[in-house]
Amino acid sequence: MIKLLGAFFLALGLIGAALLGVVYQIWLSSPWQLLWLPITVVALLLMVAYLTYAERKIIGYMQIRIGPNRVGPRGWLQPIADSIKLICKEIILPAKSNRFLFIIAPALAMAPALAAWAVIPFDDGWVFADINAALLYLLAMTSLGVYGVIIAGWASNSKYAFLGAIRSTAQIVSYEIAMGFALVGVLMASGSLNLGDIVRAQSGSHGILDWFWLPLLPLFVVYFISGVAETNRAPFDVAEGESEIVAGFHVEYSGMLFAVFFLAEYLNMILIAALTSIMFLGGWLSPFADTPLESLFAWVPGVAWLFLKTSIFLFLFLWFRATFPRYRYDQIMRLGWKVFIPLTIVWILVLGVMVVSEFAWFAPAVSSTV
Amino acid sequence: MTSLVFYIFATILIFAAIRVVTVKNPVHASLFLVLAFFTSAGIWLLLEAEFLAITLVLVYVGAVMVLFLFVIMMLDIDHKTLREGFGRYFAIGSFVAVVVLLELYMVFKAKGSDLATTTAKAMAEDVPNTVALGKVLYTDYLYPFELAAMLLLVAMVAAITLTMRPRRSNKYQEPSKQVEVKASDRLKVLKMPAEKAE
Amino acid sequence: MLENYIPILLFILVGLLVGLGPVLMGFLVGPHKPDEEKDSPYECGFEAFENARMKFDIRYYLVAILFIIFDLEIAFLFPWAIVLQDLGWYGFSVMSIFLGILVVGFAYEWKKGALEWE
Repeated sequence: MIKLLGAFFLALGLIGAALLGVVYQIWLSSPWQLLWLPITVVALLLMVAYLTYAERKIIGYMQIRIGPNRVGPRGWLQPIADSIKLICKEIILPAKSNRFLFIIAPALAMAPALAAWAVIPFDDGWVFADINAALLYLLAMTSLGVYGVIIAGWASNSKYAFLGAIRSTAQIVSYEIAMGFALVGVLMASGSLNLGDIVRAQSGSHGILDWFWLPLLPLFVVYFISGVAETNRAPFDVAEGESEIVAGFHVEYSGMLFAVFFLAEYLNMILIAALTSIMFLGGWLSPFADTPLESLFAWVPGVAWLFLKTSIFLFLFLWFRATFPRYRYDQIMRLGWKVFIPLTIVWILVLGVMVVSEFAWFAPAVSSTV
Repeated sequence: MTSLVFYIFATILIFAAIRVVTVKNPVHASLFLVLAFFTSAGIWLLLEAEFLAITLVLVYVGAVMVLFLFVIMMLDIDHKTLREGFGRYFAIGSFVAVVVLLELYMVFKAKGSDLATTTAKAMAEDVPNTVALGKVLYTDYLYPFELAAMLLLVAMVAAITLTMRPRRSNKYQEPSKQVEVKASDRLKVLKMPAEKAE
Repeated sequence: MLENYIPILLFILVGLLVGLGPVLMGFLVGPHKPDEEKDSPYECGFEAFENARMKFDIRYYLVAILFIIFDLEIAFLFPWAIVLQDLGWYGFSVMSIFLGILVVGFAYEWKKGALEWE
């Protein structure tokens, strides 16, 4: 145990040292970013905390219950109570488990979930890493999330964990293809891998009709549903089906180790919701653009629109969970491979014709980037 | 600064690569390989090949290594059995290593002078990497590109023929076989001598 | 271009920190009372009777291979998608051939039943 803690401190020390070096480097180039980074991370974690509260409350009302209402007024302090409880719980390291992998698995799930946020444009020009290959980077990051799951399942030395991990990996991997094809459609429509450019390509003279949800409707649906499957959320949560394989890959996890997995899952949910709004619902663009109401809502900052659109998709996540019974595993795989992939390939070809022949949305005058 | 980052990445890369072949647990080995891919992606990034760097992470770390982990987990390799074959494969292994080293040497000898100078020469200032790549990949390199499609097709067919087994675990009826059945296949009438009452 | 990637490095490091920091806190704050029964793998109350790392169905492996192939395909589609507007009909037909070849493979695996689960 002492050896383990020693390794832990060593790792943290190394990370800290590397962090300091990078921090210094950024401080030299652009000091304001440093201030925003911890604020963003804390804001994201708070969003996760209150997403769990919203989930319990909303699903509660959908099932004619009232949800958490004891801790603080209307249960508002419930997430904080939950996190304090999780910190104080014992972290159990199962016998015969691979301790090192067991402990770093949640961090491996967390790191890509958080790192993906580096390229998200919260508003016009408000983005940490304005890279050209942002969308590719996002696809790479979402594909790394699978490591946390697979390593957790293997390191636990438990049958249920292993089974859950393998199921979950195969499922994530299958839906990632559909997701990738949907992203190709977005690229074709926008002509850029940069998320800021993708949003700007959705502004035009027809308000919300210029957003990509309309020309890319099938891809929009496929992308969001794949996102639900990718985050292992209901109705695609066979990987953790508590009634059959007792919570799947994290069955042996307890206390904070479990909490980090939980955080990563919810962070991924928010990420998918934000990405869907950025790529298909015009990100920070106002829905009232090019309508008589435009000036009335001109004071609303772009980030508020993005937050609103993200919330819509987060609500859908919760609504799905409250409404749909769990899919069977073979049905999940069939949906991914036999419905989504052919659908996206066909739509890519249709879109190709539309883009090349400069049909409606893709006429240079309308969708050209400013 | 850039060369400092390069040396840090290179050191981690070499360390990880050595650990891949020396570490005992195959799962650890594949995780070190993941680390090696990450750092090579970092080095490619230093060469301003952002598309290739991220694709390396996407394809190798995100897909190929997942398959590796699957295979390692599926085989559930025992350390002891791994040790046994060491002497047997040492000769052929070292032979392959020498051949690869020779090839590397020849490549460096032939192109060595180029390697140092041609880095990122064609990069225009504000054309994104991916666009530049797209503009040559589908025009100048059309033939290799379509060939890649054929390769992928072959890989797909090969994977299926290697792993697909006709499944008999599920129970379903084959009407044609049911019709063909004759009584003699199913029923055997045995002559038994009547037992005598004692 | 490179300076744009510094925040990404920072985010990855912060991500690892957010992953490990709370766990460290949990180790410091939480109790430690290891117990043979508590530490044994979950097995619905039974003793675990065989190695947990069991062999599993080969079709998971097949899914992983098919995933690699399709992932590569997507990697080929990305640069094409952003230069399509420049390449025009030529680019479209080039990719139609590429996709056509791969759709043959897809149809093959479909017919072979590689996508069937039961």
